[in-house]
Amino acid sequence: MTLILGVLEEGLIYAVMALGVYITYKILDFPDLSVDSTFPMGAALTASALLAGMDPVLTLILSFAAGAAAGCVTGLIHVKLKVRDLLSGIIVMTGLYSVNLRLAGGRANVPVFNQDTIFENPFLADVIPALLSPYLMVLILFLIILICKVLLDLYLNTRSGYLLRAVGDNEALVTSLAKDKGMVKILGLAIANGFSALAGSIYCQHKGFFEISVGTGTIVIGLASVIIGIQLLCPENGVSLPSRLGLPQVRPTTAVIAGSVVYKACISLAISMGMEANDLKLITSILFLIILVVSTERRKKVKGLA
Amino acid sequence: MLRLNDINKYYNAGTVNEMCLFEDFNLSIENGQFVSVVGSNGSGKTSMLNIICGSIPLDSGTIYIGSENITHMPEFKRLRRIGRVYQNPAMGTCPHMTILENMALADNKGKPFNLRRGTDKRKVDGYREALKTLGLGLEDKLHVKVGVLSGGQRQAMALLMSTMTPIEFLILDEHTAALDPKTAEIIMELTDQIVKSKRLTTIMVTHNLRYAVDYGDRLLMMHQGQAVIDKSGEEKASMKIEDLLERFNTISIECGN
Amino acid sequence: MMKKSMKAKTLFLAAAAAALLAGCSGSSDSKDKTYTIGIGQFAAHGSLDNCREGFLLGLAEEGFVEGENLTVLYENSQADGGMASQIVTNFAAQKVDLICGIATPMAQTAYGVGKKQNIPVIYTAVTDPVAAELAGSDGAPVGEITGTSDKLPVRQQLEMIRAILPEARTIGILFTTSEVNSLSTIEEYKAAAPDYGFEIVDTGISATADVPLAADSLLEKVDCLTNLTDNTVVASLPVILDKAAKKNIPVFGSEIEQVKIGCLAAMGLDYIELGKQTGRMAAAVLRGEKKASEMNFEVIEEAAFYGNTKVAENLGLTFPKDLTSSAKEMFAEITQ
Repeated sequence: MTLILGVLEEGLIYAVMALGVYITYKILDFPDLSVDSTFPMGAALTASALLAGMDPVLTLILSFAAGAAAGCVTGLIHVKLKVRDLLSGIIVMTGLYSVNLRLAGGRANVPVFNQDTIFENPFLADVIPALLSPYLMVLILFLIILICKVLLDLYLNTRSGYLLRAVGDNEALVTSLAKDKGMVKILGLAIANGFSALAGSIYCQHKGFFEISVGTGTIVIGLASVIIGIQLLCPENGVSLPSRLGLPQVRPTTAVIAGSVVYKACISLAISMGMEANDLKLITSILFLIILVVSTERRKKVKGLA
Repeated sequence: MLRLNDINKYYNAGTVNEMCLFEDFNLSIENGQFVSVVGSNGSGKTSMLNIICGSIPLDSGTIYIGSENITHMPEFKRLRRIGRVYQNPAMGTCPHMTILENMALADNKGKPFNLRRGTDKRKVDGYREALKTLGLGLEDKLHVKVGVLSGGQRQAMALLMSTMTPIEFLILDEHTAALDPKTAEIIMELTDQIVKSKRLTTIMVTHNLRYAVDYGDRLLMMHQGQAVIDKSGEEKASMKIEDLLERFNTISIECGN
Repeated sequence: MMKKSMKAKTLFLAAAAAALLAGCSGSSDSKDKTYTIGIGQFAAHGSLDNCREGFLLGLAEEGFVEGENLTVLYENSQADGGMASQIVTNFAAQKVDLICGIATPMAQTAYGVGKKQNIPVIYTAVTDPVAAELAGSDGAPVGEITGTSDKLPVRQQLEMIRAILPEARTIGILFTTSEVNSLSTIEEYKAAAPDYGFEIVDTGISATADVPLAADSLLEKVDCLTNLTDNTVVASLPVILDKAAKKNIPVFGSEIEQVKIGCLAAMGLDYIELGKQTGRMAAAVLRGEKKASEMNFEVIEEAAFYGNTKVAENLGLTFPKDLTSSAKEMFAEITQ
């Protein structure tokens, strides 16, 4: 039971970030590496804000905003300065490392064990019966991810959301619709990195400390979650698992969340089987490659004017 | 009225590979004209469209719509009053979005893309009617993703989508070239209907000499950045495919191929 | 073919998930005096490995012998914070009696998970437990967590350097700006150095790649170098030693492993000893004699002298008699 709860907690925290990667990788078709630094950015900012006495819930919003700002920077570098997508992300990722250390007050490790968090505060202590307390974290995380997912789903069905989907699908059409495709990309990157920083904020509050190394490999976890989730539950071609079982179709956002949990479960399983962290990275990357090759992931797309 | 004044455009300017595309090119198109443009490869047909739309920059020259100078207006702003259909059917639609979503996207052109619902439920019937005019049965597949449609179906949608909202110009860039002859015929018919019913000023680049002769009220033949044939009205109406072919052959001999 | 392999993939993932669900119900909790502990080590390097070894020795001294009445689960997170957290969660899921966290981030992660599951945590190699919020400013634990600190014996190190190099005026220190422990130790060095007639010149780096250039520039300005327990710098120590040797500048270490590979000398902590001390604290908790929350964290007060005579010979130096006579261990060669 503890293991299931542990995997769910880890999975749900990273699922928030994976929603962001879903936007960049799946919708925008933009390989955005900035999430590797916006995740710790959320954590750093949260640690400092909590120490300064900020309300834990507010830190979530603050982190989202800061992440969105960083995403805008990636977007501006790409769109306005015409730097290639991958490089824009790398530039922001590298630069934010220093910024994150500054945000954390120059320290690479900031504990917040003694501060109120979204998981541990007087309000919750009063309201939640003791019986529920082992499940409290999962419940809170579930609530957060649910809000994120519903908001994202709603957004993707607005006019602005349509445009976001269109820009990854066919840039030329967005131009034809008399909209600046660059602005749409910037918007998408902002939302995606907002989610990433939000996840970092939750991570920090969950673990009770910020550590500069927490961002390492975030993008890999995000991509793995998106690819596993989408391939498993709503592949673009072929029959999905739910429909094979006679269940209703799931939305991609739900699939991504499930993908994150499955990914964390696999890692947890690998650790339980006695695999070393050294080997895990190789195994992750091989698993990754297999999924990519097996799926017809490499979509053919119209890029600009032929 | 659309006017191109003294357009100069070079590729690889200042290098040994310098290639002149347009030198002091001038063109004006009256409102409501349907201009067919033919010409061999590299004659500047598509580049002309790209210059009008702002997809490629100019070296010098000015472009006016009416009295407004649009030379330095970015592409996406110009396209507010221009509808464009590309040769590649995939470029006019979003493959991962449904037919309905694509229609809604096109319908929202010119409106703010805000947080309102992407698809206005009250307008679905209207979209269905519009799709029915294509005669391809798309009105029954509203929730199908466009990616699974055939090239012809997509091109028909692209044409419909680019003319859904009020526009002043329609730019057709070899829009039947990638289709089989029968589908091309259907799309061409459709184009003519739409252009006539909406009285759009239209520029159509085509390799099909018959379309160039049969459709439109003005015909341009481009060669080395100049219009070597420019006929309209009666003169255009009396043009035959043979006349065009003959001219093509002369040009080819001049070029040595 | 494509479809088939996709199906296989799907099945694999489903099976993995199922196995996971099944796995967690089968944890053993027999009570006939056998114990299970989880050791989480943040990164792999010599002194941390020694800590772990010493920890097990310390437990064995107290009658908890691995393989007899003690099952040890060991995981290394390879300096990956996310991995650390999953490792500790797995320990908790297997209902270990105690978690041992080696190095600060692992200790903090273990505390975060342990306090939810009521699993006591013993840490070691945490330089500043107070700054890490694992202990209050009076040294009392913040919860069911205690352990040992590997705070460097700064004054003893300075005293030793003065004894070996009576003429030296400046000491250079290379450190990683993102390592908290290094920052606090440098402060201590700067505060104590004037008492021994030294001036500290420090150069911060942000990654391994910066080491060669930073070392070159620092070596221009100083009479000798001394090391902290800075992970990045220690990992690049051979590069620094090579550059220093060419300029005939002595490099002092901070623990035994560094002296082995070519540092002149160190007043170092014996990490095995530190581990043993930690093991004894863990034993007290396992036996139920004391709760972790009742024990303040401990530090090793006495540092021991380690010297490398081969390095001294290369530099044309000799160690003072009273140092060599009190040496814990002397090395006559440089281990690569």
